[in-house]
Amino acid sequence: MSATAAGVAPFTGDRAESIEMIRDSARGLLGADMARVRKLRFTEPGFDAGLLRQMAEAGWIGLAVSEEAGGTGLGMAEMVALAEEIGRASAPEPLIGCALSAHLLAAAGESELLGQLLAGDAVVLTAWQDRANTLSLASTADGARGFVLAAGGATHILWPVAEAGRVALHVLTRDQVEITTEATQDGGHLGTIRPLPYSGHGPGRHIADDVPLAEALDRAALATAAALLGGMEAAFAMTLDYLRTRQQFGKIIGTFQALQHKAADAKMQIALTRAAVEQAAAALDEGAPSHLVSRAKARASEAAMLVQQACVQLHGGIGYTDDYDVGLHMRRAMVLVPAFGGAALHRRRFMELSPELEDA
Amino acid sequence: MNAITGREPEDLNLLPDEVFRLHIRAWIEANYPAEIRNPEKRLHWEENKVWYFKLAEKGWLCPGWPREYGGLGLAPAKQIIFTEELERHGCARCNDHGIIMLGPLVIRYGTEAQKQHFLPKILSGEHIWCQGYSEPNSGSDLASLRTEAVDAGDHYVVNGQKIWTTLAQDANWIFLLVRTDKAAKKQEGISFLLVDMNTPGITVRPIINLEMHDEFCEVFFDNVKVPKENLVGQLNKGWDMAKALLSFERIYLGSPRQSAYALTRLKQLAERMGVAEEPLFAERYARHRCDLEDLKALYGRYVEVLKQGRPLGADVSQLKVIQSELFQRITETMLEVAGENAGLFGPMEGNRNLNPGALYIQARPTSIYGGTNEIQRNIISKNVLDLPG
Repeated sequence: MSATAAGVAPFTGDRAESIEMIRDSARGLLGADMARVRKLRFTEPGFDAGLLRQMAEAGWIGLAVSEEAGGTGLGMAEMVALAEEIGRASAPEPLIGCALSAHLLAAAGESELLGQLLAGDAVVLTAWQDRANTLSLASTADGARGFVLAAGGATHILWPVAEAGRVALHVLTRDQVEITTEATQDGGHLGTIRPLPYSGHGPGRHIADDVPLAEALDRAALATAAALLGGMEAAFAMTLDYLRTRQQFGKIIGTFQALQHKAADAKMQIALTRAAVEQAAAALDEGAPSHLVSRAKARASEAAMLVQQACVQLHGGIGYTDDYDVGLHMRRAMVLVPAFGGAALHRRRFMELSPELEDA
Repeated sequence: MNAITGREPEDLNLLPDEVFRLHIRAWIEANYPAEIRNPEKRLHWEENKVWYFKLAEKGWLCPGWPREYGGLGLAPAKQIIFTEELERHGCARCNDHGIIMLGPLVIRYGTEAQKQHFLPKILSGEHIWCQGYSEPNSGSDLASLRTEAVDAGDHYVVNGQKIWTTLAQDANWIFLLVRTDKAAKKQEGISFLLVDMNTPGITVRPIINLEMHDEFCEVFFDNVKVPKENLVGQLNKGWDMAKALLSFERIYLGSPRQSAYALTRLKQLAERMGVAEEPLFAERYARHRCDLEDLKALYGRYVEVLKQGRPLGADVSQLKVIQSELFQRITETMLEVAGENAGLFGPMEGNRNLNPGALYIQARPTSIYGGTNEIQRNIISKNVLDLPG
């Protein structure tokens, strides 16, 4: 769709076609029924395990995993298109978390568990954070790790461990961990994971000596930015409908300039986000460095709050009711904005990684 | 006379301001129920009535009402101190529509019979009021309201729907703006009607808001019979009466208390997250702090107008815009500081003071209710700046 195309996307030819196919297939599977999303809120595990399996069967979890490893063999350009649709539908299924784990398992050569994950027979999530507001791996091997979205639905937990400048990977089964969950604004949850007492070198089973965690987190951050973009597009589309139909003072409220300008401001944030996200996706597929990912996640995180706030405001009172869908997108944004790094963190990382600005 | 104790109220106006303040403070501290201090959400009647009755028994429920009607008859300056002390202690708002809206309106415009009937029942807690103004198609454009009251001889028949009626499920009476003349200019065909919520034909449906709280309701009227003596003021003059009460709402909504509360919580959050000393945070905090102090200074100027007993002008709209947007910015900073905790539905670590997500959500409607900030800016540009159009 790129329903609201902003200029020309950086993908052409076959690539553009495969992206369109992904979008079509995503919209077919996800539907536009927000009642589904509502029903799952504040339940355990907070998502539809059957739908997650269908997503796996459609090749989505392994979308960017190579075909040799059993994946679909597409790139980040397709992944961000898919994540955008997930965001548009506000789907709570932990696709991004599972894709992150698939990337690590593929790198680890752990084909059996990867196969189960890609087939939808296992839900594998990765626990890497021991504090908020960080992009760095936890410093110890056995402390609690938090902020794992939808952790309550996991069958396995991947547990990266910093070892002498490398990142070893362990896998823990559900019965080797204790998971506590806290509800999130969108009706899902964040899980804190503690390995149960173990003997040996580290928790669970050691499966690799070195995995590209930073690369996997980059991809997850970019997919999250795309999901935020989809959420913005969905809330903004509802808002435009409202501006075009709601009447006050005998006029369609979309004729009031104060509201028009607010909508125009939101539109510009969405355009910037799409440009940044798709540029970063194209660059990652070319093997370019990750400062573009940080810029995209910073933009998406900041824009999402601005746009979602504007959408609620432009709806007036109805926007503040839980019955009305625009709030669902705001609540989801509150969870995704800080996930895999918020705006300030990624701006700082962008400046560390990016080349100097050329003199104009 | 006190509706509960039958005693004459004390005249606190005689106390010097600072003595008065300490007197109020001491009594609040000794009597306010600790379990409902600083509530995260607007409390329902069942939760706050203990406080309502304590105030009523003390004779302090209606500080602004004249003494002859059971109020404290406090001078404006003292009323403000009273409110400041309630806010300082984190007292819950009571179901106060009878106290702050309906009572003053009946005192000003009601008949003697209405005063004798309704005012004591507010003071005793027998009547809990709610306000039926907004309608689904009449929000910003309130004067376009269509809930109508048709003259049927000795009574009116009311049909229509109200929305955003705060705590309607707790109330047993509602004051309504209703259309009584469809031919007149929209502001001139509106009347003010008092309706017993137990009358057949009234349905209340709570609305769950983004806080997952049922503070607001829809109220439906299906051929509801209302006695004619329940009309307040003259027929078709309801708009002007209701409007006279709205400037009170704007200064109330412009009070710095929400921003001040949020800033305190932001500081605690920053300390917990270990960023309080970081230059980036310190700069942002300093900005919020200066914004808050400037708002307090501006607020103080309007309070001074009230203290002098003068009416507030249209420019009081500034306060509501500045306050709500500062409150929102502070909560936005909270989300940034909280990192992943920003998405939590409940408080962090079970600590009610660390609740960034909930406070952020709570700040959202402040730029919508009480007249959206867009409407307030229209008022400023048209009625204050006198710009054309």
